[in-house]
Amino acid sequence: MDINRRAEVPETIEIQLKKGVLGLCVLALLNRADSYAYEIASRLSDAIDMGEGTIYPLMRRMQSDGQVETYLVESSAGPSRKYYRLTEAGRGALAAQTAEWSAFTKAVDAVVANDADQGAAK
Amino acid sequence: MTRAEFIDRLKEGLVGLPTATANDIIADYQTHFDDGIAAGRTEAEVATALGDPIRLARELKAEAGIQRWHQEKNPSAAAAAVFAVLGLGALDILILLPLLMGVVGTVFGFFIAAIALFICGGVIMVAGPFAGFPGGPFAAILMGLGLMAGSVFIGALLAIFTIWLVNGIVWFARLHYRLLKPALESSPVQSTSTSGVSA
Repeated sequence: MDINRRAEVPETIEIQLKKGVLGLCVLALLNRADSYAYEIASRLSDAIDMGEGTIYPLMRRMQSDGQVETYLVESSAGPSRKYYRLTEAGRGALAAQTAEWSAFTKAVDAVVANDADQGAAK
Repeated sequence: MTRAEFIDRLKEGLVGLPTATANDIIADYQTHFDDGIAAGRTEAEVATALGDPIRLARELKAEAGIQRWHQEKNPSAAAAAVFAVLGLGALDILILLPLLMGVVGTVFGFFIAAIALFICGGVIMVAGPFAGFPGGPFAAILMGLGLMAGSVFIGALLAIFTIWLVNGIVWFARLHYRLLKPALESSPVQSTSTSGVSA
């Protein structure tokens, strides 16, 4: 029974975690280079296993929050493609979230490493 | 799920959005299929990786509703945002609804009271001077003006509270967005339709 409960919890944690960092990942990717939705989605779904479709609601939200903006680029084949780039506000959000994220992971690492040491000592 | 099925379900889910917005969203997903196929994946693979179109449509709709609410603060935008957000299923409706009904009822009651007070003030101001108001006509006019100003004040407070309330609900719902998982176990509809195609 205890095992069952343990099996359930990590999944919610996993979902919540991914949900939280997805925006940060997109900001980081766009900070390196402007990109289009398919590229962002496929890179992130490789890295953090998520439904690729999620990228579109997220991009719309970031756009309405003013963190990213779009522009069209002519492509050699087919219709022109919609690229996303960071705005000033987006860069600000990236800096703030990166700081939050590294503080958080450091704190968690410290706790987990401490736990592992004690486990090894026993 | 084929590309056509995915797009159809998405379209169904987006009913109620302005046509331009819906078309924009659908174009995004069409491009995604084009890109996926150009990268050598099958339609079914792309659809699976995208996730459940119905759930996606709900999130997109909620996002559009929230965006509209941020742009135009009027009752219909507020109602649209709140209902779209409720449609996400992110909020526990059974718990929230009675609470929300109570709050909305109270706000509505105050609103009616403010309107009544305003009309009352108007009547005193106009009719008071001729009806022998205690303290003379001038007092009646002042009294009427005072009541009307007070009711406008209450109305403004109510509007601020309502805006704050809707923003709060939106904020709460966004916290509870769920990350989409690939729609692997999508539905029996999918398996019957694919077997129909292969047969």
